[in-house]
Amino acid sequence: MSTNFDRRRINGPEDSFSPVLVDDDEDETKWRPGKPRQSRQPQDIRPIFLQPGLISQANGSAYIETERTKIACAVYGPRQSKNVGYIERGRLNVQVKFAPFSCHKRRAPIRDAEDRSIAVLIHQSLVSSVRLELFPKSTIDVFLTIIENDGIDSCVATGTVAASTALADAGIEMLGLVTSCAATLMGEEIWLDPNHDEATAGASTLVLACMPALNVVTSVWQNGTISPKQGLECMKACQERCETIHSIVAQSLVSNFTPE
Amino acid sequence: MSATVSLSKSEKSYIRTALGELSPIRADGRSLLDYRSIALETGVASLANGSARVNIGKTAGEESGSGTEVIAAVKLEVEGVLEGEGVDGGRLMCTVSCSPAAYPHLSSAALDDLSYDMTIILNQCLSHPSLHPKNLVIIPKRRSWLLTLDVIVLSDSGNVYDALFLAARSALCDTKVPKTRSVQYQPKSNALGEQDVEMSAEAPASIFSTKEVKSTADFELADYWDEGEPLDINQEWPVCVTLNLLSAKSLPTYFLDATSQEEAAIPLRLLLLFSFSPSGTRLQSMRLMGDGEIQLESMTQLLESGENHARKLFQALKNKLQEEDFRRNQKALARFDLR
Repeated sequence: MSTNFDRRRINGPEDSFSPVLVDDDEDETKWRPGKPRQSRQPQDIRPIFLQPGLISQANGSAYIETERTKIACAVYGPRQSKNVGYIERGRLNVQVKFAPFSCHKRRAPIRDAEDRSIAVLIHQSLVSSVRLELFPKSTIDVFLTIIENDGIDSCVATGTVAASTALADAGIEMLGLVTSCAATLMGEEIWLDPNHDEATAGASTLVLACMPALNVVTSVWQNGTISPKQGLECMKACQERCETIHSIVAQSLVSNFTPE
Repeated sequence: MSATVSLSKSEKSYIRTALGELSPIRADGRSLLDYRSIALETGVASLANGSARVNIGKTAGEESGSGTEVIAAVKLEVEGVLEGEGVDGGRLMCTVSCSPAAYPHLSSAALDDLSYDMTIILNQCLSHPSLHPKNLVIIPKRRSWLLTLDVIVLSDSGNVYDALFLAARSALCDTKVPKTRSVQYQPKSNALGEQDVEMSAEAPASIFSTKEVKSTADFELADYWDEGEPLDINQEWPVCVTLNLLSAKSLPTYFLDATSQEEAAIPLRLLLLFSFSPSGTRLQSMRLMGDGEIQLESMTQLLESGENHARKLFQALKNKLQEEDFRRNQKALARFDLR
């Protein structure tokens, strides 16, 4: 309601609306909250493509793809830590970067590309598996690039698998391979390995990382509302599925191995 | 997560051995499951919509300067839904800032990282849709409240996450959302476009009728006095219990409320956030932090005992908040009458 209202002009409306760009109203085949899961059972995970050693200049690397989550991981080191004094245990440095085109909204390079919260979670999953006591004064750098993002939970889980594979590919001594699986609570059902839509529609999400060879859990991260009993069920389901993923990782490492 | 103090190997092993004994010994004489004394005060920031100050471990007789001290304050801002970043239904944003005075030996970059990590933990838990307050709407599809919860860590002597969530819960429970009324301007039918408009205030527009929504143009504060309604959520705001894991093999042993020295000596922690409402106990967040591993079988027992500790903490906090409410409202009024 401006005070100098000029009636001789064509006055536009007071508010303007930005156009709605996503047209998913028409698509009948699209999954919507409340519908049963499409193309797989609740306890199924998406098919995994895992290829170690794709980045030739790195000491170890891995590329992982589970439908629309695509992550490349490179491991450099162990190499000398710079600008620090003597440290008795090696340092595991995890960095996660998003490609600018990886999300719905553009992630501006430099300013908005790095996500520390994912890096912290992946670090948590990996740190107890690597024998850092063998590398005094050194750093192991793990660089992850998220090429396509289909949910943060899925990024954390698949990123952990890729990083552990890359560490093994680099020949770094570990206590065991770390695998990770996400789950979401959809109504009363537990859906494993959710994509972005499923994870946002679910009441709670949980990501579990474990070393199946040693039967120990290295990281649990749960968010949202869930009863303690269901939480335990989620963790059990995830751990079971981690064993499957473990054999996939082991197989991909064996088939990539060329005796010198 | 970096440890907040640096200890030598022998100091760490000294603390660890004492805690691992058959009859565990802690430096301050507590048993494994004892908390230090917790002090809480609400309404500490008069310009905020809700605030609280929490101190864990202040020794009696000392004025200040010991224990973990945290201040949380809630500010509400009006946000446009159509323009800017606002979303219909309002938003909740949490920020934690760590004072350099609390972590004097950390570099500023490390301090930023620490603040960011705490922010993420607080934000992921509290701004989850399952805890979203329903009364952050001012005018549906137009205006909403942006709730910002800012927490400042003034000093840290261990167990900062429990303190963070205690302060956050108290501040959120203390928050009053100002009452608003939708206002509409109606031009007189015979003088279209003229200056003289008639103002009519109406009850908040119903969500079901789109016609009403469109006609509401603005809002006004309904009350002259600074009062409002508490935040309306389906559940209760959660409380945090940190289980510091001594050994997590077949028989899990843990202790509560670690001092910073104990935190440095025992790297593995399990953060559990529970919310207790009449409809049942809900786990709102769970996170394993630090270098170490646990067995899944021991999680059952850890969750169970964590729930028990959280329930006690929750009940104690609820009583304290009621007491604070009484102190600030009834007692203050009575004192006002005496004058």
